[in-house]
Amino acid sequence: MSDLDRWIEQLKRCEPLAEKNVKVLCEKALEVLVEESNVQRVDAPVTICGDIHGQFFDLMELFKVGGECPQTNYLFMGDFVDRGFYSVETFLLLLALKVRYPDRITLIRGNHESRQITQVYGFYDECLRKYGSVNVWRYCTDIFDYLSLSALIDNRIFCVHGGLSPAVSTLDQIRTIDRKQEVPHDGAMCDLLWSDPEDIEGWGLSPRGAGYLFGGDICTNFNHTNKIELICRAHQLVTEGYKWMFNDQLVTVWSAPNYCYRCGNVAAILELDEHLNKSFKVFEAAPQDVRGVPAKKAAPDYFL
Amino acid sequence: MASVPTLSRGGDVSVQGTNDDAQISKLSCAKLGYFKDEFIKYFVRRSSRRSPLINRGYFARVLALRGLLEQFFDVVSRLDASEGRQHVAQVLSLGAGFDTTFFNIEAEDRSRARWFEVDFKEVTQRKAAIIAANAPLHEQLGPNAKEKIHPGEGKVQTEALSVLPADLRDVDGVESALLASGFDPQLPTYVLAECVLVYMEAEESTALVRWLGKFLSTAACIVYEQIKPGDAFGRQMLTNLECRGCPLRGLQATPDLAAHQLRFLKNGWQRADAKDMSTIYRAYLDPTEKHRAERLEIFDEFEEWHMIQDHYCLVLAVNDASGVLHDFKFKQKVPIAAVPQFPRAD
Repeated sequence: MSDLDRWIEQLKRCEPLAEKNVKVLCEKALEVLVEESNVQRVDAPVTICGDIHGQFFDLMELFKVGGECPQTNYLFMGDFVDRGFYSVETFLLLLALKVRYPDRITLIRGNHESRQITQVYGFYDECLRKYGSVNVWRYCTDIFDYLSLSALIDNRIFCVHGGLSPAVSTLDQIRTIDRKQEVPHDGAMCDLLWSDPEDIEGWGLSPRGAGYLFGGDICTNFNHTNKIELICRAHQLVTEGYKWMFNDQLVTVWSAPNYCYRCGNVAAILELDEHLNKSFKVFEAAPQDVRGVPAKKAAPDYFL
Repeated sequence: MASVPTLSRGGDVSVQGTNDDAQISKLSCAKLGYFKDEFIKYFVRRSSRRSPLINRGYFARVLALRGLLEQFFDVVSRLDASEGRQHVAQVLSLGAGFDTTFFNIEAEDRSRARWFEVDFKEVTQRKAAIIAANAPLHEQLGPNAKEKIHPGEGKVQTEALSVLPADLRDVDGVESALLASGFDPQLPTYVLAECVLVYMEAEESTALVRWLGKFLSTAACIVYEQIKPGDAFGRQMLTNLECRGCPLRGLQATPDLAAHQLRFLKNGWQRADAKDMSTIYRAYLDPTEKHRAERLEIFDEFEEWHMIQDHYCLVLAVNDASGVLHDFKFKQKVPIAAVPQFPRAD
């Protein structure tokens, strides 16, 4: 058994890797990711997943529902880390699978794959708590810079974490972005990771303070210009797991059930067969007894 | 923040723990600049930075409650001049925990009222001890205040502030403790129950509401607590807080705004209004303050933010024998329609 296979086994038991192994894994991952396009080409069949946010045991549920990698091909649309209790194990497992089966799993970047956001929303603190130093956080956030920004399935389905950008009307414009950097505060790269669809016309200001709101007309134009039939994105909690918008030109997929152990929502993944036929699989959070939430953290925050 | 005793010893400790949790969150807010509170640090043993959502929620709660208190003081200040007394009103904080509002108001020299805080003895003992141990706190209580602080009994008995140990389920006990410490039921009184009633059995909290309605002829009662146990978020909230050992025992009896209003109206109060915290946040907070606070931290929890705020409410009930409180109500600051609601979770 290779080191990599051993690490995958270890991570599947939700045991974090030793710091020196994280370093080696990230070096290997860099070699794979650096070769990928900003619009990474993906072939169907593939199963599309939304935000995971460190909910490791719910990711195990996801694999139970969708099939194990590499038997099932996967595309994860970012936000692997922050909020949940197991961002380290979640991200490293997905990264190890990527290195082991580079053609079977695609990882694209979410707005939480960022140095700044992870210092506010948990991944930084988790690395410090689990390793006693921020080295692992540094290795991981350095790898974040190499994650692709989007994916294109059989030239028909465009996948991105957030949404569209007023600075981008063609996929070629995305291909020219120099992505190997921290997520900027504005511009095309930022917007792809931060924007949201909304029932408006044209563009709107986002209350998130980054990215834009875009309406159905913007979506129609983009899909027409780029000869695609669907935009598939994540980024927003939808309580039924997925949500169609704009006459089925866009779908939001959300894969973190009972988000933050607080929201009570179900999650979904979108399975595409080789003909791009779509089927959603909806799933619930892993039962409490397998979730293994640390006792001290058992209660998510409320206003008390 | 309440510390209402529950039946089991374990439950008592857990519910008291909600007080500590609330103070940690308020310290987190104060440190980040959401609001000023120079006193909260004395009440927190181990500080911790909260997520932006929790900070923003406490900010909204503190700003809304402070606004109502100031409004009440404005109303009674008109009585001030006419009657020439130092204190013409009272604040009665039920399940006050380590709330620092008294100290903050007093430090700004704007208190118009005598303050009475009631809580479970274990909590008032700790509060009294903290006040006794920290000069910036007991200096707010006037000269020789230290002699009037009794940590062992869990009592603070000064002209400005009384901290009293009592069990809120025993309204007779609460009444006699208040009367013994100089509480005057004839004076206009601002009653606050911040995350308190919902931990009690519905019959117990309703008995408290009924007693207050009878006991106080001129009073406003403000309740802040959870609502909506029936949807997915609400069910999860019930489960999570039950796991934590502090079940929301009263929530099924007051599941929505109408039930909260009705409880007051049916139990001796003349009028009652209730709004969820999403509405309060959208239209009833000072927009300048709100925009300032919204710039303090990166915020990426919009869907959850709307969900959690939908599950908290403010209730405002009034009994007004003397007619001084006729204009005391929720005051809208921004037209609701002008405020975008994006993004909702579904």
